[in-house]
This record gives sequence, C-alpha cells and structure tokens, in this order.
Amino acid sequence: MRVKSCIRAVGTVALTSLLLAGCAGTDEPENPGTPPRVRVITTQQYLNTVGNVFGSSVSMDMKFPPLRRTDGLLANGAALAGVTAGKIETFQRAASSIAAQVVAPERRNYLIPCTPADEKKADPECAKQFFAQTGRLLHRRKLSEEELGKYVTSASQAADQLKDFYAGVELTLESMLISPEVLFIVESSDEKPDKNGTRKLDAYSLASRLSFFLWDAGPDDMVLTAAEKGELDSERGLRKVVDAMLASPRLEDGMRAFFDDMLGFDDFDALSKDPTVYPFFTGATAADAREQTMRTIVDHLIHKQEDYRELFTTRETFMSPALAPLYQIPASRGWTEYTFPEDSPRQGLLTQVSFVALRAHPGRSSPTLRGKALRERLLCQVVPPPPPNVDFGKLENPDAHYKTQRERVAVHLEDPACAGCHKITDPMGLALESFDGAGRFRTEENGAVIDTSGELDGVHFTDVVGLGKALHDNPALPSCLVDRLYSYGSGGAAKPSDRPLLKYYTAEFQKSGYKLPEILRTITLSDAFRHVTEVKKVTSNEWHGPTEEIVIDEQLPTTTTVDASSSSHIQTVALTNSHDKN
Amino acid sequence: MKSNAVRKMSVAGSLLAASVTVALSTASAQPALQEGGGALKDRRIGYVMTHKYWAVYETEGAKTECPQGFNDGPREQFKKLFDDGKKRSIVEAQLKREGEQWHPTTEPESFVFKEAQGNVSYGLNLDGKIGPEDFTSPEGEKGIDNQLYRVIGCIGHYRTMGTINHFENLFMRSYDDTRIVIELTEVDDLKNDDSVVVTTYRGGDGLLQDATGEGFIPGGTQRIDLRWGKEYVSKLKGKIVDGVLITEPADRVMLPWGVTFGTSGYHVFRGFQLKLKLDPEAAEGLMAGFVDVKAFNHHLNTSWSTHHHSYGQLSSPSQYKAMMRLADGYPDPKTGKNTAISSAVKVKFTQVYVKQPEQKELVSKQ
Repeated sequence: MRVKSCIRAVGTVALTSLLLAGCAGTDEPENPGTPPRVRVITTQQYLNTVGNVFGSSVSMDMKFPPLRRTDGLLANGAALAGVTAGKIETFQRAASSIAAQVVAPERRNYLIPCTPADEKKADPECAKQFFAQTGRLLHRRKLSEEELGKYVTSASQAADQLKDFYAGVELTLESMLISPEVLFIVESSDEKPDKNGTRKLDAYSLASRLSFFLWDAGPDDMVLTAAEKGELDSERGLRKVVDAMLASPRLEDGMRAFFDDMLGFDDFDALSKDPTVYPFFTGATAADAREQTMRTIVDHLIHKQEDYRELFTTRETFMSPALAPLYQIPASRGWTEYTFPEDSPRQGLLTQVSFVALRAHPGRSSPTLRGKALRERLLCQVVPPPPPNVDFGKLENPDAHYKTQRERVAVHLEDPACAGCHKITDPMGLALESFDGAGRFRTEENGAVIDTSGELDGVHFTDVVGLGKALHDNPALPSCLVDRLYSYGSGGAAKPSDRPLLKYYTAEFQKSGYKLPEILRTITLSDAFRHVTEVKKVTSNEWHGPTEEIVIDEQLPTTTTVDASSSSHIQTVALTNSHDKN
Repeated sequence: MKSNAVRKMSVAGSLLAASVTVALSTASAQPALQEGGGALKDRRIGYVMTHKYWAVYETEGAKTECPQGFNDGPREQFKKLFDDGKKRSIVEAQLKREGEQWHPTTEPESFVFKEAQGNVSYGLNLDGKIGPEDFTSPEGEKGIDNQLYRVIGCIGHYRTMGTINHFENLFMRSYDDTRIVIELTEVDDLKNDDSVVVTTYRGGDGLLQDATGEGFIPGGTQRIDLRWGKEYVSKLKGKIVDGVLITEPADRVMLPWGVTFGTSGYHVFRGFQLKLKLDPEAAEGLMAGFVDVKAFNHHLNTSWSTHHHSYGQLSSPSQYKAMMRLADGYPDPKTGKNTAISSAVKVKFTQVYVKQPEQKELVSKQ
C-alpha cells in the first residue's frame, strides 16, 4: 500500500510536510495502472483542439466516422479504431479546410505570428515561428529541431514553387493536421518498468491524458509548459495544474463530452419519431432535449457542485421555447433556468424528455428500453440481448387487446426465455410509463389508467418520483459513475483487478459528498491514473475474444484491454464482440 | 339504553371507521403528479394565427361562381390596350398604367369585370340584417355580408392555389412581426360561457411547425409586442356557445398584415367580429368586418408589385373600381358614398401561452 511507504518515508522532520502533501489522505491501493494506449482523436476532440489553437472564427463543419461503443463508452472504442482510406479522406478534407481558413487574408494577420518579408517568397524564419508555436499545440509536445526543420523546409519549398508564402504554410499545415502524431493520442513512458511492470507516464502523455479527460481537447500552453518544466512529475505541481484545469471553463466541454458518451446520447443522431404519432416531436425538440440534459448536468455538477445522486431527483433544469410545449409550460426567449413545481412528475434526469424519448420506440413507449438504459447507462450493469429466435408477434400485433404497455410487456413474463431479462428491466421501466414515446406526460393509455408502480433492486415505489429516489439511493449509481470516469479518462474499460482501486475512488467520492470535481481530482491525482503497465505487443493475427460477462449484481464493468505497442509501431485492434450494442 | 358491550362495540366501530377514514384521507392527500395544468390557465387561453385566407366560396371548376371564367391581370389588360401596332411612348403606355394603379378612379373602363355569381358565400352577418345583396352561408345561415367575395371570387390570386393565398400565409409564418395573437380571458368553460373577453395583439415569436411539416405545435409561447405602441391591441366582448366563440362587433380592429421581406403592412377592420370553433389546442373559423377600400388597395400595391399581381391575374385598378362599386359600409359623411366593403377571412389558430411584456421602469424614473 502506498500509504505504508509514505509513513516509512517520514524519516526526517524536514521531509514530513513535503511528503504529507503528496500522500495526504491517500488510501489508494496499489494498482499497476492501465496499458499504454493509442487512441484516435474523436471529432469533438479535434474540433475543440483546433478551436482552442485557432479560435472560433475558423469554421469546422465536419464529422469523423463514428466509434464503436465498447464496454459502455464510445471513448473506449477510440483505442480500438482502425483507420481506413475513407477515414483518411475525411481527416484530409477537414485539414484542408482548416489550413485554408488559417491563412486566409482576413485571419493571417492574427493567426500567423509574423509577416513574411515578401509574400511571394518563402520566409523560413516566419514559417519557423508559426510551426514551432502551432506544432507544439497540435502535437501536444514541443517539436524536435529535426521535426520543425522538416515542416519549415516543406513550407519553404511549397512557397518557392507556388510563389506564395501563405500557400506554402497552408499546404504544410494541412499535412501537419493529418499527421499520425496529431490524429493519434499515443501514450508513452520514458521510465523502465519497476518490478511490478509499472511505469510512470511521461509528462507529455500525462498532459494529454489529463487534458482529453477533463477538457476533451489537447493540452493548452499552460499544461504543456507545466509538462516541459517537470511540474507534472511532482505531487504539488500536478495538483496545481489539475486545480487550474478543474477551474477552467473548458471543464464544461470535457464533462459534456463524457456525459454525452456515458448516457449514449450519440443515439440522438439517429433518433426519429413517427410524425403521425408524435407530430409535436421535431428535430428541434430532440436537439433541445439533449441540450437540456447537458445544461442540467453542467449546472448541477460543475457550477453548483452538488451531489451527483441528486441529478436523479432534482426539479431544477433549463427550458427552451422548442421544449416548453412538450412540458406544457410557457417559455421565455432562449434557454432559461426553470424549476418544475413540487407536484410535477419531472424530477430528475430520468424524467427529462431526453431519457424517455430516446429510450422508446418511434411510435410508442418502451419500459424495456428504458429499464435497460437505466441498468446499463447509469448502473453499469449488462442486460443481455434478446435471444435470436424471440417472437415479437404478440407485442407488435396491432390488433392486440392490450391497452397499456404494462399489459403488453407482461407477455414477456409468460415466456421463460424472455422473463429472465425482462424482470430486470421492466419493473423500473414501467414507472416511466407516465411518459409516452416522445416524452410527454400522460396518466392514461388507450383510455386505461396507467399503473406506474415498480421496483428497483428491492425498493418498491408507486411512481416515477419514487423511482428517482430509489435510483438516488442505489449504491451502484455513484460506483458506476466512478467506473465510467476512470475508463473514460484512462482510455479503456477497467479490469476486475481494478476493483480495489474503484472501491477507493468510490469511497473518496462518497467522502466528498458525491461532488464531481472532487472525484475528478481524486482520479487525476491518483497513482493509477499516472502509471501504465508494460507494453504488451499485439500481433496482427491476434484477436481479442469477447469481453468478460458481468452479472447484474456485480458493479464492475466488462473488461476490454487494448494494448498499444510503442509509438513507432502503432497496432490497432478492432473487437468483434461487445455486450453493449445499443 | 344500550348495554356496555354494545357501547364498546359501537365505540370500537367508530374508532375503526375513523382510522379507515384517516388512512383513506392520508392516501388521497398525496397529490397526484400533474403537468402543465392545461391550456386554459387562470381563466385564460391564447391562440396564434397560423392560416388566413380571404374567404372565397369555390365550387368545382369555378363553374357556379365564375361561369364566364376568371378576370384578366395586368399583362392581359396591357396587351388588349396597347397591342394594336400603334407606336406609343413609355409615358403613354407603361407609366400610364402604373399611374392608374397608384391613383385609381371609379371611372368605367373598357374591360368587363367578372364578379362572383351566386348567393352562397362564407362570412358573417355584420349588420344584423338580411338584405337583398346578402349571401347565404354554405351552412344555410342567411344575411351573410361579404361583398369582397363578389370582387375577388373570380380573381385567380385569391383562390386556392393562388399566389396571394399562398404567399400571404408563407410570409405570415416566416416573419414574427406579422404574428396575430388573440387571448380569451374570463373564461370559465371553453364549451359554454356567456361572457368572455377577447383581446387581439401582435405577437413577437416564431410559430412552432410540427414534425409533419404541415401543422403547428400547440403550447408554444407568444410574447406580446408593445414596443411600438398598442395599435394592435383591441378588446372584444364575446360568448362561447357549444364550443364556438362569437364576438360582438368591435368598431375598429387593426391587425398586422405584413407580407414580403418584413414589410410592416396591416389591415383595419370596422365592425370586426370573430366566429371560431374552439378547443384546447386550436381554433378555426372566420373573422369578418368592413375593410376600407382605399386602404385595402394601398396595402395591395405596397405589398405586392405588378409582377406578383400578374401571376394571379389581379388588376389592381379593376379591383379598386369593383370594390368601390360594391362597397356596402361606412359611408362618407360628405358624399354619402360607401368607403368600406364587407369581407371575411377564413382563419386557423393554434394554442399558445400569451406572455405580456415586462413593465420596465423608465430610465428617467430610476
């Protein structure tokens, strides 16, 4: 245990305060860390990074190919993605557009830090200034003299041939923007492994890990400078940087990306409702529903720093004119703060349109999809997919005499093959029957009063407010968040051997009153976050098998480990199996 | 006298009953979850206009109302006037016609104006009388005043598929400053209420089109626009009978009626009335009144240029002459000639929440 080694280290009074600063309160169990990973940059990370480097005036309407959701997170899929020729073309189009905008006459004066002596000729000095500054931010490390020299030479040659300094910069910047060093986040260590095979991430890798985790973007000058000065190597320096990053407005970007991933909100991209059944549910409704939940999360967890569990009971949210009709309330212009009344059924994230509309069919509600989403997204439990020979006829027959979804899903329980899973999804999904498939409140379905009673892991309730409270009190709720945060931040799913570490994180989270910034601080300052295991080489014909099956009462994730070889021999692996196919 | 045993049983029974009552009242005291509280809140309900068409009663192929076909427009008239091979200057031809458009007269012209025929028309009985020129509604109500229908019934522009018909709605939906809002207050029952107040406003927010692309979503919000004054605010008295709102005539009601590219046009109705079938999500029916002929013509010319008129064979000078000839209300005190013509507009509304502007304190008072 690390705490023991700290106590032993307190040999002299002079060192006591210094060491305690590093060890204070750390009951962190020993953990070898994660494998070093190679991750492809996501669309949003690329946009955020380029936006941070060149500013918001550079327009970037682009979308990279989607990642495979793996063990609950798209972020985990970033370490499994191969890059096809088609993807390279997408990256190249983005790079070409960005480079052209950077050197455009209306931007070059403030995006390029110098003016060439003659615009029709190469100017190596000016090009060097630009590429040294920009290259550092895009590569997330200082360029070597050799690397910088290559970029400058390339820019000069192009400028001479095209007789245009800015054209030379443009072409070279484009090549930089699609270089593997920019598109792949490669973790490395300059230390030799200890006896346990553990190595400390090098400062630049740690800077990137921190930055992509907390900001969903590459590190800025402040973080890179800290890395260059060795500040990330000390507890004190690291704490200072983490504190600054947690206080930065960019934390909102980072946590938006995380919760969007954790909640599976990429499903909004494919969400469609039958306009004849739900004419009031439009594209604007869907976009604002997603945004409403994001605003609620950011406000509750970051601005107000409130208890994470209360996200599932809070009546406080934000409202927009496009959403207000669905909630049957007047709206103000733009987004405004809104608190639902005490007798409102809208209490907590589960009752927001985003959850109940996204987890439903195009033309009707679905207790099963809602229960499954609750289990998988919020409690990190895995609900197996339906057996391949399942007969949906009884459910989909339009002449069925079932008036309510409760009656309809009861059919599941008649078939033992279905009942096993539906017993773990439907009882809490039925409480959400207060909301139709588009998220509108209702008390009746086809003329029959809706029974919203249900049960979650032994806690019984009569309505959706009770469900929110049951979820609030469910111990798997905070532990799942911790698990997802660690997976997201470290680039891959936690392993069963990480269980003591996750328990430690969860305990720290509890001590802090379930405040998000505190658990982020705990994770990023932990040894495990800063260390990687020895590199395991993956051969091209070596496939990973299916991820580990996790039963419902376990609150740990499935395990997907993705190993990266050294940065010069990138090996990416695509998994063919995953439990999370939603 | 009851025995002790009986008394005890009686007491026990009372206690049991009381405890059951308490239990029941406790259960029923837990308020049921509810949302919104419905469209009718605090005895108020608002609606925003989504469709408006000058009411034209159309039969198949227009055979009944336009047996001689439709009227000519600017291009056809220009050809008839000037396509005789004679050389004319621009002043004698194009500018002359433009002048007649902007300075119309009641002098007879060489063209035959085709008025709508028959005695069936949409509209309301604006004067409370049944006269020889009045129509009968398609539902059989007599005394319908809608002489504008005689004028526009055989002008392609105003009919289904006509360009004014289409574009007046398109632009009304596109530009927020053309938003017509009504709010019913003092409403006790949306089905039957012998006294309600209707207030007209100009709203300031966009309409919420639904997912079909054809309808509008009820439950939106319209903020009342009083930035330029209260010209669009009028109060009407009315009643609701079997779900139909009927208002008493209001002397003067001004409604925003801007069309292309944010023009700030309006129409003024005299003797304005509403007859709308109401439900919590929508209202549909007629609004009717007398429109001033000169103002109507001015609105037409300032909203639509001649090429627009040409698309729907609408000759502004000819229409003006017909309107003056058929005008049936508000005589000029000096000449005795009618200045306004009875009209009706088919309208649809969708329910909205009406939000009054915040009362801001004047800077000078701070």
